[in-house]
Amino acid sequence: MDLHHATVVGAGVMGSGIAAHLANAGIPVLLTDARLGAATEAVARLLKAEPAPFMHPDRARLITPVDLPEALDRLTNSDWILEAVTEDPVVKADLYRTLDRVRKPGSVVSSNTSTIPLSKLIAGQSDRFASDFMITHFFNPPRYMRLLELVAGPNTRPEAIAAIAKCADRRLGKGVVMCRDTPGFIANRIGAFWLQAAINAAFDWGLTIEEADAVCGRPFGLPKTGVFGLLDLIGLDLLPHVTGSLAAALAPDDPFRALVRPQPLLSRLIQEGYTGRKGKGGFYRLGRRPDGSRIKLALDLASGAERPSEKAILDSLQAARGGLTALFEHADRGGAYARAVMLPTLAYAAERVPEVSDDIDAVDRALRLGYNWKYGPFELIDRLGTGWFADRLTTEGLPVPPLVSAAAGRPFYRVEGTALQALSNDGAYHPVVRPAGVLVLADIKRQSQPVAHNPSAALWTLGDGVLCLEFTSKMNTLDPQVFAMIDDALARIGDGRGIWKALVIYNEGEAFSVGANLGLAMILYNVGLWDQIAERIAEGQRCYLALRNAPFPVVSAPSGLALGGGCEILLYSHAVQAHAESYIGLVETGVGVLPAWGGCTALLSRHSQNPTRPGGPMPPIAQTFETIALAKVSRSADDARRLNYLTTNDGITMNRDRLLADAKARALALWTPDYHPPAPPPPLALPGPSGRLALALQIEALQLQGKATAHDGVVAKAVATVLTGGDTDLTDLVSEAELLALERQEFMKLVRTPATLDRIDHVLATGKPLRN
Amino acid sequence: MPRYQAPLADIRFVLEDLLRVEQLATLPGYEDATPDLIFPVIAEGARLCEEVLFPLNQSGDAEGCRLEKGRVFTPAGFPAAYRAYIEGGWTRLACAPEDGGMGLPELVYFVMEEMVSSANLAFGIYPGLSRGVYNAVRRHGEESLKRRVLPRLADGSWAGTMCLTEPQAGTDLGLVRTRAEPDGAGGYRITGTKIFISAGDHDLTENILHLVLARLPDAPGGSHGISLFLVPKIQVRDDQGTLGTANAVSCGGLEHKMGIRGSSTCVLNFDGAAGWLVGQPHKGLPAMFTMMNAARLAVGLQGLGLAEVAYQHALAYARDRLQGRALKGARYPNRPADPLIVHPDIRRMLLTMKAYNEGGRALAYWIGLHLDHEARHPDLRTRQAAGELVALLIPVLKALLTDLGFEVANLALQIHGGHGYIQDNGIEQYVRDARITQVYEGTNGIQALDLVGRKLPQATGRLLRHFCHPLAAELEELGRDGADPVLAALAAPLAKAFGRFQQATVTIAIRGLADPDEAAAAASDYLRLFGLVALGALWLRMARVAQEKLAAGATNPLYRGKLDTARFFMAKLLPQTGALFAAIQAGAAVVMDPEDERF
Ligand SMILES: Cc1cc2nc3c(=O)[nH]c(=O)nc-3n(C[C@H](O)[C@H](O)[C@H](O)COP(=O)(O)OP(=O)(O)OC[C@H]3O[C@@H](n4cnc5c(N)ncnc54)[C@H](O)[C@@H]3O)c2cc1C
Repeated sequence: MDLHHATVVGAGVMGSGIAAHLANAGIPVLLTDARLGAATEAVARLLKAEPAPFMHPDRARLITPVDLPEALDRLTNSDWILEAVTEDPVVKADLYRTLDRVRKPGSVVSSNTSTIPLSKLIAGQSDRFASDFMITHFFNPPRYMRLLELVAGPNTRPEAIAAIAKCADRRLGKGVVMCRDTPGFIANRIGAFWLQAAINAAFDWGLTIEEADAVCGRPFGLPKTGVFGLLDLIGLDLLPHVTGSLAAALAPDDPFRALVRPQPLLSRLIQEGYTGRKGKGGFYRLGRRPDGSRIKLALDLASGAERPSEKAILDSLQAARGGLTALFEHADRGGAYARAVMLPTLAYAAERVPEVSDDIDAVDRALRLGYNWKYGPFELIDRLGTGWFADRLTTEGLPVPPLVSAAAGRPFYRVEGTALQALSNDGAYHPVVRPAGVLVLADIKRQSQPVAHNPSAALWTLGDGVLCLEFTSKMNTLDPQVFAMIDDALARIGDGRGIWKALVIYNEGEAFSVGANLGLAMILYNVGLWDQIAERIAEGQRCYLALRNAPFPVVSAPSGLALGGGCEILLYSHAVQAHAESYIGLVETGVGVLPAWGGCTALLSRHSQNPTRPGGPMPPIAQTFETIALAKVSRSADDARRLNYLTTNDGITMNRDRLLADAKARALALWTPDYHPPAPPPPLALPGPSGRLALALQIEALQLQGKATAHDGVVAKAVATVLTGGDTDLTDLVSEAELLALERQEFMKLVRTPATLDRIDHVLATGKPLRN
Repeated sequence: MPRYQAPLADIRFVLEDLLRVEQLATLPGYEDATPDLIFPVIAEGARLCEEVLFPLNQSGDAEGCRLEKGRVFTPAGFPAAYRAYIEGGWTRLACAPEDGGMGLPELVYFVMEEMVSSANLAFGIYPGLSRGVYNAVRRHGEESLKRRVLPRLADGSWAGTMCLTEPQAGTDLGLVRTRAEPDGAGGYRITGTKIFISAGDHDLTENILHLVLARLPDAPGGSHGISLFLVPKIQVRDDQGTLGTANAVSCGGLEHKMGIRGSSTCVLNFDGAAGWLVGQPHKGLPAMFTMMNAARLAVGLQGLGLAEVAYQHALAYARDRLQGRALKGARYPNRPADPLIVHPDIRRMLLTMKAYNEGGRALAYWIGLHLDHEARHPDLRTRQAAGELVALLIPVLKALLTDLGFEVANLALQIHGGHGYIQDNGIEQYVRDARITQVYEGTNGIQALDLVGRKLPQATGRLLRHFCHPLAAELEELGRDGADPVLAALAAPLAKAFGRFQQATVTIAIRGLADPDEAAAAASDYLRLFGLVALGALWLRMARVAQEKLAAGATNPLYRGKLDTARFFMAKLLPQTGALFAAIQAGAAVVMDPEDERF
């Protein structure tokens, strides 16, 4: 069953966000709401929302907003109807009956409910409806949160489940976790427990919110917002709803119920409009000092008053660097807090198997994908040791969950031979199965030795003769060691007709690469080793050309940020398979330099070779100039195509987990016994000084309008010098090598200007660009 | 017999010719600090050092301090000398006018610090510590506290101490245990034991202010939980500084030590002593460090001062003492033997001392000038750059000049042969006195760690920019065709050494990022490499000035001497950088691999 068309009923935050994401996946959507005009308003809101729900504003065209009466006439061609209306069983039941009358036979109806059991939703509906019905629980915001909890009823058709799961996985890019029909399903069930325990304990143990967030954050691989920062993000007003309805649905003896208690401070905050970032601020706020400068404020939990936010300093946090158990065992309030929050939370999670799922891996995935935990609860327990955990629970007078007893000191996960296995509630280990088409580098790293490695990069085998280059430096910055590894890979693969056939450049870091290691460059600069800076630039160009000219397929597979040198490596790959959430850009001008590892040259060639471009020498130059001078970063892979960072030949993968397999398949598909690398770009006829002058006028106009700073102008003119070919004129052709030489020359000029240095200093110090 | 004559000619050369000290008077607040004022002040200071302080150096060492009935007495003559010191206004020299100070530039204070250290280091420690306390309170104290104590510190009627060290807390101040309890009336009660407290008690002033590191009741452990307190020996009743009853601070003992015997080194017991908080709670270490920075520079100058006086002894001795004949035949045939100074190895030692001392002086005063720029320059960027340069060079100056101070004192002893080893001749005292400067105010090993662990990584090495870029430009210029051949010949070896320094910096930065042991294992070698290159840079600049003066017809033999010594430095001392570079590149494994048991 294919899903060609969808309808989303309910144009609130979730419904409209889901509609936007269906549009991102290329699925036309009817968005409708019982309130007249609501759907149209929702689309307008989506276009302004941050973070952007659409991968490109054009995607909004796939959404047709209509009022409900009209929708009922038109939804006959929808294969999937998603309901995201008020959490009211009566409203939903009525709607379902109406829908059931008009929907296409065999179409799937799913609810995005987070609190109402499926059994209740299908009660009183037709059998046919029940067989086509399921719960698809998205997380907010739907484009970015990767979890989709899927709950099927006893009579839901298996083909319908398979079709929705497949669509969610491949087209929407979600991590689908099959859940039982239990309250809160998996992620919210455990997540709400954690939040509630963390709030209670902060009051009970007298921690500042900074301390609480520092303890229940980084050390556990929990989002660095911690708990109070997270509440600000999701909205303080949401919490009482979630905890209230969850508690009501749970069995009387469920430990969660004992946690729920009145929170006068929280109620007061909500009442006064301090609902978090969407309101006037929440536990953290921005304020102003007497001199007008901005200052981060934090709420004092005891008094409810604001005060300047202060970094948490606790001995236990220091101790946590030596391992999690040291944090738990520490005598100060940080240690007490960790015990009071995380021990019961992890125990609660362990008690939920098999109640919410048979599968510990499903529980871990749900928390990883739905709450952005770096490790799921069972992985966290493994980090502590199941034996240590059981002993500690006993010490604290807490019951030991049966699953933890059954582990009897053994880890929940182990690697047996080359296979990852998980402990199940029968006391035995079972393999953790990855779906077909999912290749995880972390698995490969667990199962094999690197072919080669150094501190900044490693080579792994993906099987079938494909070698994978992984960056391992901080933020995957590019440095001489990375280049050495590229050289190593090129030498190993040789002509691509031996044991190795192709190279895939891929990693599972948060960023594919943020570009050159500026810190290293700055050290060279600060000690005055100009020549070595120039050498590093030349070295990068040589290395990227060698990749481009390799006699075997070179496929890059970015996800997340691919900036500067990280973008240039894509431009010099033979093909790119990008994750949909790829943020690609030549951002060098932001730090006062220009792309000099071939970025100017490659992007200019791309624009020049575009068959649909307007005639004359200037249009491709102007387009390239605009992209580079404004340091444009794509908001998605889709957007990157429009900026020419990606071409239509480059593939896009929606599901992060499928990226590596897709890239590998791409590389193998390109390979032939007589494979030829892409041809070097032909020499270009460039206008030289006259073109440069034209661009300079544009820059000056921008400066006059106050849209560009003094140094923006200097940098943009250097970019213009390169793109117009230096001192050439239209009767001459400028080769790739000459353009690369111009890049080097202009880079070295810029890097010695004080204003460029100020930019680099500023970025290194604050992480933010300086507009000087 | 020892003698000391302040090196006024060289001081004048550095201030006037090299640093163009007249520019100080263009800085706001220093309008009066013209050469016409500065040089007479220095000459007056030199007289005090030569005539009052120096004669007490050997006797003070022989007599030492005494503890009687809980009170400490300094050696005979010290109290009178201290009176002369404050009457001459020397405690007020670089204090702010609103505190009754003269408000002269730091640079002038640097000169005085060097001369006092040459004349009588043990004596100099007393006013030196007062100055540290003055700086700390001025920077971090509340207004009322400042009004109460700063004028007293400035006029020298009260003295100060720095109480950091405890038996279990030396280098690692995170281990400090001394406690501070709020007394409910805005003050604090301090309880604990401090050891090795210089000037902890003495008979020079009517009161002593102890700057004490201690922990508040709710303080987190480690270095983030330490606060700074000011604890008077005698309680202060009011803003006029009227003295009340004795505070609960007592001297529990005096250390017997290798050198600086005229300086009291005390065990101090605080027994619920009343004190004031200085700065923010738990922010005591950063506050103490602002004071320690100045103190570290001062200790560097102590090393220089000792090296200077030791050199003067050695030079006089090498001219007087007759032993052996010059290898190529008698140079003084009418005397029974030639003086030591004819022998190549003696000359090597003398030139080594001279090159280190004059280079060290130029380096120290150059930093002093930047301190004044940091404090007073009207342009923000210049202030920042000067501050960053000073921050970078503080550990270098402290460790380099104290290590060289000891080396030079040792060479001076060597030139004296067996006579150097005999106490009455006074030379071995300098070796003993110099030894402590390598240890206190943060051992030199810790200075090296500060350099590679804090100063280099700061803002990705930006601090280095202010040192490296000007030097790179000078060397580039002197490397071009047509450059002055004398200067070019000096620049060539320096360029090589500088290249090693640049590369070593990059090596340490890169390796240190991956493995902190790499930076730490190279730290001391790197600091010395840096120090030698810095001395080289100053020698090149001095040579350039001398060459210009000679070209303009100057006849002062000092200028020729500068060129000779620069040549010696570049040829005979700077090559050490090659060995240091190799040792740095060797990496940490050779140091860290052997297991602890295998030592
Ligand atoms: C005469 C004299 C006067 C003094 N005056 C004062 C004073 O006025 N006020 C005051 O507070 N203190 C004073 N001190 C104390 C002095 O500052 C300390 O002795 C000094 O800081 C070293 O501490 P420590 O002796 O405990 O040596 P330790 O800290 O035990 O160090 C022993 C050795 O180990 C090295 N070391 C220690 N930690 C490290 C590390 N992390 N990495 C590498 N190497 C390390 C040190 O460099 C040293 O070589 C004085 C000491 C003396 C002898």
